[in-house]
Amino acid sequence: MGKGYLSLILHAHLPFVRHPEYAEFLEEDWLFEAITETYVPLIDVFDRLIDDGVDFRITMSLTPPLISMLTDTLLQSRYIRYVEKRIELAAKEIERTKHQPEFNRLAQMYHRHFTDARYVFAEKYQRNIIHAFKKFQDAGKLEIITCGATHGYLPLMNNNVNAMRAQIHVAASHYEKHFGRRPRGIWLPECAYEPGVDQILREAGIRFFITETHGILFASPRPKYGIYAPVYCPSGVAAFGRDAESSKQVWSAKEGYPGDYFYREFYRDVGFDLDYDYVRPYLHGDGKRTNIGIKYYRITGKTDYKEPYLPEKALDKAAEHAGNFMFNREKQVEYLASVMDRKPVVVAPYDAELFGHWWFEGPQWINFLFRKIAFDQKTISLITPLEYLEMYPVNQVSTPSLSSWGYKGYHEYWLNGSNDWIYRHLHKASERMVELAKAYPYTPKDSLHGRALNQAARELLLAQSSDWAFIMKTGTMVEYAVKRTKEHLFRFTKLYEDILSGNIDAAWLSNIEGKDNIFPDIDYHIYQ
Amino acid sequence: MDKGIIKEIFLLILEIIKALCEILWKKIKNVTDLVWSRFFALSDVSSEEQEWGVTGEDTWPTVPEVQPAKREEPQPGSERKEIIYVPEIPELPDDYGDNRIVLMVRDTEWLFAYWEIQKGVMDSALNTLGDMAHGAKIAVRIYDVTDIIFDGSNAHKRYDIEVTGGARNWYIHVGEPDRSFCVDIGLLTSQGSFLTLARSNTVRTPQAGVSEVIDEKWMGIEEIYEKIYAPMGRGISESVFERAHKSWREIQKEGVSSPGSSGGSTASEG
Repeated sequence: MGKGYLSLILHAHLPFVRHPEYAEFLEEDWLFEAITETYVPLIDVFDRLIDDGVDFRITMSLTPPLISMLTDTLLQSRYIRYVEKRIELAAKEIERTKHQPEFNRLAQMYHRHFTDARYVFAEKYQRNIIHAFKKFQDAGKLEIITCGATHGYLPLMNNNVNAMRAQIHVAASHYEKHFGRRPRGIWLPECAYEPGVDQILREAGIRFFITETHGILFASPRPKYGIYAPVYCPSGVAAFGRDAESSKQVWSAKEGYPGDYFYREFYRDVGFDLDYDYVRPYLHGDGKRTNIGIKYYRITGKTDYKEPYLPEKALDKAAEHAGNFMFNREKQVEYLASVMDRKPVVVAPYDAELFGHWWFEGPQWINFLFRKIAFDQKTISLITPLEYLEMYPVNQVSTPSLSSWGYKGYHEYWLNGSNDWIYRHLHKASERMVELAKAYPYTPKDSLHGRALNQAARELLLAQSSDWAFIMKTGTMVEYAVKRTKEHLFRFTKLYEDILSGNIDAAWLSNIEGKDNIFPDIDYHIYQ
Repeated sequence: MDKGIIKEIFLLILEIIKALCEILWKKIKNVTDLVWSRFFALSDVSSEEQEWGVTGEDTWPTVPEVQPAKREEPQPGSERKEIIYVPEIPELPDDYGDNRIVLMVRDTEWLFAYWEIQKGVMDSALNTLGDMAHGAKIAVRIYDVTDIIFDGSNAHKRYDIEVTGGARNWYIHVGEPDRSFCVDIGLLTSQGSFLTLARSNTVRTPQAGVSEVIDEKWMGIEEIYEKIYAPMGRGISESVFERAHKSWREIQKEGVSSPGSSGGSTASEG
């Protein structure tokens, strides 16, 4: 019998970016890169584990915006165009590098990589890779959890319970529509919790969420087992704390595995390295150099000097790092089991896009880790938070502390001089949405008024994405984040005024319904 | 030939040359601007990918360890089609015609307040102050209202911060975790009296350390805390926990229905 558990959690999220009004759009590449580099490679890993009969458990949040984009026919066809362009370039690269064997085999690797992505996306899963994740969930290997409807930062909604409730309930309904059952767990947007949020989760039937380490450590009363067992909030919803130790091994840019010199260098991309005219057809319309996704070098060292990537060596490293991670978890669990009177659970959450996109070898690291855990040791087992709760249904009652997984552990990254201006508008819009919902309790869904009310709810939700505040703080692509915030707020305000004045611009409404088409089944009554 | 006509023609030619020069100058400027904007646009691109899921203090990779060896400037082709994101939006309103102040928590020690006060309200407040209006300043008054029903005069303590430069928001360093606060926006006269224009909601800063509150049912197992908490390297707050936890005790006495599959189990194991 094992002594304890590891719960690996991947948070997969991208903001809703979809611009039918343009033939192509730079920020849509975020999704396409994630499909190619993260989602498809993870699906490949899971499929192969199942084919090989390796038992595993993993938890993933698939956020409503991500699911909405992955199931959108426009973005699906744009992805095919995206990946086909890369297959074409990789083929040219095989030709171009034919006298440079060290690059030629990499060009062939990328050609296989893109061809596989196209096959898995377009043929195996018929353009809808949500089917893949659902398949793993139905097989009992993957627990898919939900998130805020648009990744809205709940504690900064300033106690507008209706606004918070809408984020949770809209997400839960969206989940149910796609997966055929209610979500059992949630990744709170930015891991941001404040006491009271759990009551809304309970209303939505959600049974657990994850908090940052100090959310549990500083909970009150003091949790007996620290972060190595869940606590129940007074509402009865379970809170699991993130394990800082295991996080650091993977996350840290300095000490983490992804910085190994044999791993692929992210910042050397042919989009920047090769002759401009040669790569021009693979760039966006504005001709700006961007990442294309073919990268020939390994990290090598701290200087600009880079050596060609050696896939076999990198794979060895991924296996070695998986072994190291497992060894550390075994030691950790052995220690914890010796001081606890129940089996500990180590909760290790990461951004999904770290695996594959940033850390190219990340999906293979997961692959090795799961195989090693299955065959090479007996101390730890993989588990989902829900399975742990089923095993230990009795837990201590404690209220987690306000916290987030952002810089310094609280709200500062989303509330500072670069983005604090948004909150007066977001709060006002939330109040107005509640006002509208109360003023129009019986408006039929398909009437012009009903459509305008539902679209107002969509615009508010889209404006609330924590991604915009986050991007404003990071300082790159700020203009886009500012414009998206203003755009959704403007659309919301116009709808609010038009609805109250009874003067709805039907043509304009149809237009923005077509653009901001997230949550087609939304019901604004959620704000009542 | 008439000297006047020659002079006229000469001046005309001068005008034409001047106009040509101006056109040329504009062209040069456009090209320079283009190159300039490309230059900066490029530096954006070089780091644009960093925003992927970078959140934690330890996050990977906040700073690229290496920069690409070579980043030449693109020479946009003649068929270049700018894709600029131009939504149909005017600026957001400066205010919504309210008189209010809203208080938010940022972390264990800092609050953030934003407010709007209409001119009419400000003017009548100044009228009310009469002679004292001279030298009156806009200030935020902070009240510690921890565990009380605040009636405007029973705060544990209060202090004022003058807000300057026409500010409409302010970060307030209260420096005290696990306390409740509310604030007023108002006029502070040079005599020290304060006229409230609007009062905020109440917020509570989060606890900054391990709770001093120990579930009574777990009493006598201190050594387990030591063993589990010590390796985590988090300091235990020295501050005395003052909050009344009546509700907690009640919950623990009654037991909380577990959402687990078995249902109805009690909250505490002990």
